[in-house]
Amino acid sequence: MNGNSSQMPGFWQRLQALIRKEFNQIRRDRRLAISLIVPPIAQLLLFGFALDSTVSNLRLGLLDESKTPESRELAATFTESKSFKFGGYFFDGKALENAISRGQVDAGLVIPYDFARDLHRGRTTTIQFLLNAVNANNAAIGQGYAEGVLLSYNQSLGAHGIRPEIRLISADNSRKGSVSLTPAFLFNPGLVTTWFIVTGTLGTLLVLNGSLVASTAMIKERERGTVEQLLMTPAGTTEIIIAKILPIFILLLGMVIIAMTMVRFVFQVPFRGSFLLVFVGAALCVLCGIGIGTFIATFTRSAQQAQLLSFFVNPPLATLSGSLSPIEAMPKWLQPFTVVNPIRHFGLITRGVMVKGSGLLDVLPNILALIAFAFVLVSLSVWRFRNQLG
Amino acid sequence: MRRILAQARKELTQITRDRLALALALLLPILLLLLLSNSISLTVSDLPLIVQDLDSTPASRNYIDAFRSSVTFHVVAWPPDRQPEQAMQGGVARGVLIIPAHFGRDLARGQTAPVQLLIDATDANTAKLVNGYAGQINRAFIEDQTSSNATGMVQAQIRLWFNPGRDSKKFYAPGIFVLGISMFPPLLASLAMAKEGEQKTILQVYVSSISAHEFLLGKILAFMTIAMAEWLFGLIVMITVFGLHLTGDPTVLVVATIVYAFCVSTFGTMIGAAIPNQAAAIQAVALGGFLLVFLLSGLIYPVENIPPGLRWVSNIVWGRYYIAVVRDALLQGGGWPAMWFDVLMIAAIGSVFYTIAWRNMRYMQVKA
Repeated sequence: MNGNSSQMPGFWQRLQALIRKEFNQIRRDRRLAISLIVPPIAQLLLFGFALDSTVSNLRLGLLDESKTPESRELAATFTESKSFKFGGYFFDGKALENAISRGQVDAGLVIPYDFARDLHRGRTTTIQFLLNAVNANNAAIGQGYAEGVLLSYNQSLGAHGIRPEIRLISADNSRKGSVSLTPAFLFNPGLVTTWFIVTGTLGTLLVLNGSLVASTAMIKERERGTVEQLLMTPAGTTEIIIAKILPIFILLLGMVIIAMTMVRFVFQVPFRGSFLLVFVGAALCVLCGIGIGTFIATFTRSAQQAQLLSFFVNPPLATLSGSLSPIEAMPKWLQPFTVVNPIRHFGLITRGVMVKGSGLLDVLPNILALIAFAFVLVSLSVWRFRNQLG
Repeated sequence: MRRILAQARKELTQITRDRLALALALLLPILLLLLLSNSISLTVSDLPLIVQDLDSTPASRNYIDAFRSSVTFHVVAWPPDRQPEQAMQGGVARGVLIIPAHFGRDLARGQTAPVQLLIDATDANTAKLVNGYAGQINRAFIEDQTSSNATGMVQAQIRLWFNPGRDSKKFYAPGIFVLGISMFPPLLASLAMAKEGEQKTILQVYVSSISAHEFLLGKILAFMTIAMAEWLFGLIVMITVFGLHLTGDPTVLVVATIVYAFCVSTFGTMIGAAIPNQAAAIQAVALGGFLLVFLLSGLIYPVENIPPGLRWVSNIVWGRYYIAVVRDALLQGGGWPAMWFDVLMIAAIGSVFYTIAWRNMRYMQVKA
């Protein structure tokens, strides 16, 4: 005990001196400070505003061979909805086909010549709905919209149809039992897509920027050849590494607070759960990023090489995280890989705590996973760094 | 011409000697294509769904079976005495189907039985998809039960063109393919150019008899070769792995690709000429090649969804036009009438880059 306590002041003094040195260096290196704040904020804004999956105003081309009040009523039901907008009349199938393949319209509605006649006779009539499915997501949602519009048209036929005889016939048809499925959108009733993107991007930015800043900072001494000078000081290698990591960590936490403020006030993501929980998750995420950056730095000799190497590490980290697209949409063999990705766990924490109001118990596995990753990554990189210094 | 070729050969030799650069040029685009095309998809399957059946009749169990047999959902257990919201907060389920008591009785009487579906809308896009799928399952159930077209008198025959399986890989793979070509050739070009500035080998170029045009064209030609090689590999992967094939007039794609290879190589050269610092040049290319092409080109979501204040930027994002061309060539087959403008825009943006790079070179030459 005595020996320890007599050593402790020395350790803290040396560490303090080193940390002061690092802070001074960062303060004077304007580029590092700028790269700490500006790119993450710009990327958060860009991702949040540019990525919007809302499918609305699909251009609908009309081919109306019936030319009756009934067919115009159906066409109007489609174009009056927010999902579709009128994209032009076509007079033969070929023209409509060309317009779809040239991308002039996104969808086409073909009403056959016997549409109104069939309705009056109480027969089921069939319309054709063509969708450009090149964009699979738009097609799936557009198909849902079209079916919804048609459902409401059919119901209106039964309730207050344009012609009384149609109402009578269709009322007879709907006498059989039916199920009405009422959806309720929990946590995000307005279906704001940015909430998903922003909460996911936050983790990606923390890890990627954390690793970039850490690798540049770690490599700088080696690039300039000042490592030898550091090693000649009375400080040990562990102290040097702690003193290097700590200031970056503190500065990155500042960035976390700015980013979280933006998520709350610029993108209006609700904060239903505990702020502290998200902050702890973010701090762990930053530590993971620093660990990855330091690890990359130990393999390279220059900042340029480290940046090039990160091209191999960052895309898999960012895409296998579920931050931009849901993990459930990935192929089954790829999904297990996301479990070892810190961004995935942080994404689950932000979405759970901020949007759904989850508590500590709900996200405990994710927090524990982040702690494990941060511990492994940081100790691995410190170990490699120490080996290289020694 | 001979000098241009010599310059191009020198660049290619330098790249083949740098293993990291070679891997970046040829290996990474393919890896990226395979990885991203597989992982970026919005069409979910196997979403965990909780069912709370308060009716417990054969009718309600039939209804649940309809959901159970769909690819979109898989039913998970949840004690009936606990709030379903808790399951969603804990991430156990993404949706809850609640069947009220008297469901079977209502159905048998020919009345409309209400059923509620709670959807976790944290991910709004998935929520919409889930809503659509659930509606389809519901309609299929009604038709099956009442053995009639209970959905109404007007039936829709929905035809999905160009990608009937709604395979999202077919949509994203061309985009990712373009992303790779937009990122790595300009990255290498900017590194090569910035290196000349950083190591002052550019001075040797100045004192040699090569002109600025010849020097630039030689560099650009070398990186165009790399871009074309990437294009060829990528195309093979898309055809063999993702089941895409060339539709319509292939000349559009070939012409557009040559123009685009010129455009991206010139972009990299321009950045390298303007920023004689390799680390900074990488960041500039990453911003232009990756962020702009990834975010503002309609790669994931349509350009029309970008707010107007930001949308105008996408008009000058070169990748946007080439993505349109590649998607057209591999999926729609619209050919020249649909795509001439896009090819023209790529050429226009490329020549702007070239002019800037050339002006930069001239300026540097005078200064030296």
